[in-house]
Amino acid sequence: MGGFNFGLPDALTQTAKDIDGLFGMVFWITLVVFVLVEGLLAFFLIRYKRKHPDKQGYAIHGSTKAEVIWTLIPALILVFIGVWSSGMVYTIQTPPSDVYEIKVTGMKWAWEFEYPNGAKSYGELHLPKDRNVMFKITSKDVIHSFWIPEFRMKQDAVPGRMTSFTVKLADEVKAGTKLPERIVCAEYCGNNHSKMLANIVIDDKATFDSWVAAEKNRKKTDAASVIQANGCTSCHTIDGGKSAGPTWKGLAGKHDEAYIKESITNPNAKIAEGFQPGMMPAFDKLDEESLNNVVKYIETLK
Amino acid sequence: MAATGEVKRKSFFRDWILTVDHKKIGIMYALTSLVFFFVGGLAAILIRTQLALPNSVVLEPQQFNQAFTMHGTIMIFLWIIPMLTGAFGNYLVPIMIGAYDMAFPKMNALSYWLFLLGGLVLFFSFVVGAVPDVGWTAYPPYSIQSQGAGLDLWVTAVHILGLSSILAAINFIVTTFNMRAPGMTFNRMPLFVWANLVTSFIQLFGTPALAGAVTTLLLDRHAHTAFYDVAQGGDPMMYQHLFWFYSHPAVYVMVIPAMGIVSEIMPVFARKPIFGYKAIAYSSVMIGLLGFLVWAHHMFVAGMQMSAGIPFMITSMIIAIPTAIKIFNWLATLWGGQIRYTTPMLFASLGFIGLFTIGGLSGIFLGAVPIDLNLHDTYFVIGHFHYVVFGGSMVAILAGLFYWFPKVTGRMYMEKFGQFSFWLYFIGTNLTFFPMFMLGMKGMPRRVFYYQPELTTINQVATLGSYLIGFASLLLVVNIFYSLFKGKKVTSDNPWGADTLEWTHTQTPPSEFNFEALPVVTSDPYNFGEKTRKGSLDDDGVTA
Repeated sequence: MGGFNFGLPDALTQTAKDIDGLFGMVFWITLVVFVLVEGLLAFFLIRYKRKHPDKQGYAIHGSTKAEVIWTLIPALILVFIGVWSSGMVYTIQTPPSDVYEIKVTGMKWAWEFEYPNGAKSYGELHLPKDRNVMFKITSKDVIHSFWIPEFRMKQDAVPGRMTSFTVKLADEVKAGTKLPERIVCAEYCGNNHSKMLANIVIDDKATFDSWVAAEKNRKKTDAASVIQANGCTSCHTIDGGKSAGPTWKGLAGKHDEAYIKESITNPNAKIAEGFQPGMMPAFDKLDEESLNNVVKYIETLK
Repeated sequence: MAATGEVKRKSFFRDWILTVDHKKIGIMYALTSLVFFFVGGLAAILIRTQLALPNSVVLEPQQFNQAFTMHGTIMIFLWIIPMLTGAFGNYLVPIMIGAYDMAFPKMNALSYWLFLLGGLVLFFSFVVGAVPDVGWTAYPPYSIQSQGAGLDLWVTAVHILGLSSILAAINFIVTTFNMRAPGMTFNRMPLFVWANLVTSFIQLFGTPALAGAVTTLLLDRHAHTAFYDVAQGGDPMMYQHLFWFYSHPAVYVMVIPAMGIVSEIMPVFARKPIFGYKAIAYSSVMIGLLGFLVWAHHMFVAGMQMSAGIPFMITSMIIAIPTAIKIFNWLATLWGGQIRYTTPMLFASLGFIGLFTIGGLSGIFLGAVPIDLNLHDTYFVIGHFHYVVFGGSMVAILAGLFYWFPKVTGRMYMEKFGQFSFWLYFIGTNLTFFPMFMLGMKGMPRRVFYYQPELTTINQVATLGSYLIGFASLLLVVNIFYSLFKGKKVTSDNPWGADTLEWTHTQTPPSEFNFEALPVVTSDPYNFGEKTRKGSLDDDGVTA
């Protein structure tokens, strides 16, 4: 927040600020080396340009002294960066004792967040202020990567493995802050990898607790919840745009309700023109009410 | 050779298709990989065109994924590696060490034909409409689950190309160890030969790991083994370890010979001996060894314990040192020189040193585990390795193409035109790849066809740069083909006044067995310059 930070996004956690400190140090060191090397290169090219075709340079074959100098100096600089980085790694890797765990599950192509009381949210992560939040990250299908640029942190979501990192929001981050599409998938995972994004909402303690309690009991059969929970819009657009699956726009004009329902519960029964079978999993465990709500929603997209 | 009678002109078939002459095989490698370069380049232009707007629909998602998969695969396996080791290595190594040919000429021809076959197998995926979309890394489980024959063709191509590399590596190693001319001691070998030797060892030891990795992909897919199937106790991370155990050293396969080319060109046009011959030669060996110990720096966020990255961070930092040593030695070679600005010299000095330095320095950010937690798998990485592989390897290839063009063809390229294309490449490279650092820092991951609209301008600069590079590459072809037929004939066998055997002891172009009589080597390869001035840095007691 504030100050020159090399064009990086605002750092919202203390860890992010520490990492930026390291980034800054490496930046200034490399800048000095960059100016030195490019400056000498340009200077030598200009200064020693040949004016007479047959002129020879000096017959200098090398210098042990020079070799030692330009081996040792970079080595010392790199040791410095290495030691600083290693210390930071242990700090980041060691979580505090009191952590609030949120389970993050990547799937083609959506993020699921499960809170300790069993409540789940999709496409939007609620984060409590004043708590150490530990993300426990895994995947349902292929490898994804859970990246939040504002936290300077990512870990791959690997099937069969649990990765984790812990964040604590910095004091000055205001409750109510929304970060749209700042949860990013950083590991290539297929056709909608680019759009495997989620929002972050930062709540104060009280707001968060009441939200997470309400979320647990909320009956989630409304179209929006069902669509998010199942990641439908990862492959189906609602505006006629092309994607991995057919767009929903105008679908109701072409097919009746039974066809649409069948396409959800048994997608390989009939394949829309231009698409391959086997792309879409069967959503046959949806309850009747959820299914109806989704179909009704699709029918509104004319 | 026949002592009497007219030598009957050979048919094209005998002359080229059946040839086992290392020079002709080198030329075939060069022309074939140049064709592949344009296909890979077209894929890059498509990618950048899609990314000129945040939400554009130039390509469908799957086409975009196929484009970056083919771009990476072609540029690495069908352009940079075969061009450097296949074309330059084949043409130059035997002549530079004073040999009549490679140790195993027929195996050499086999390497070329396998390379061509591997390329065709990969391109066959266009014919059957199953272009792979798994990324050049082909991580499971995604790659195993991908549809169609794309992955199968990709794996088959990688296997064939790998076999070609291994055979070529064995050939180079045996040739360099056994076929050097009298007096050509190891410490008199041109630095390109050193570079090529180290590269061959990397290929020989690394490629089998890649072959193993991609084979397990096929087994999982078709024989239902469980290397990477989590449900049956497999682990997808194992593939990444195997893959990077080859593919990080592969980066050095692409860079070390490029450094060798630069080391050949710099002294000739600076009219000075190379500064620190042994430092440059042995640092290649160091890079080759250390290159096998850094692979997991591609996996800091892949699910390893974070502190398990520390040893790999340390090795990655150490490997920066021999690279820095080379840069400083090249700079010292320029110091006190008499520098002639020719196209190859511009590419080697301002081009290679100027751009590769940015690639190397940006690598320090990514090598530090905490910074990599943020920047891994972002456009910052794309910027970094393109400065290395384009700003480094590609630019060195261009330097080498211009430098040896008169020797190989007997005609001179168009100098002014060449310098013009140098500036196009130089500006284009910076316009394309520098913005990528900013994109990654601002939050753009790699391999995406959609991005946040705030990043539009930066992306458009990169796209503009890529068009400049594309244009420069067309000019390159014009220069090559025009000069090939209409270029000024070279009157001297050594137009640059160089000191290595391919210039001093062969005709232009070299005859079938390179030398009339085996050369006897009595000095080191870069004997330029006049007596050193008093009090200079040269305290090694070596004088010209």
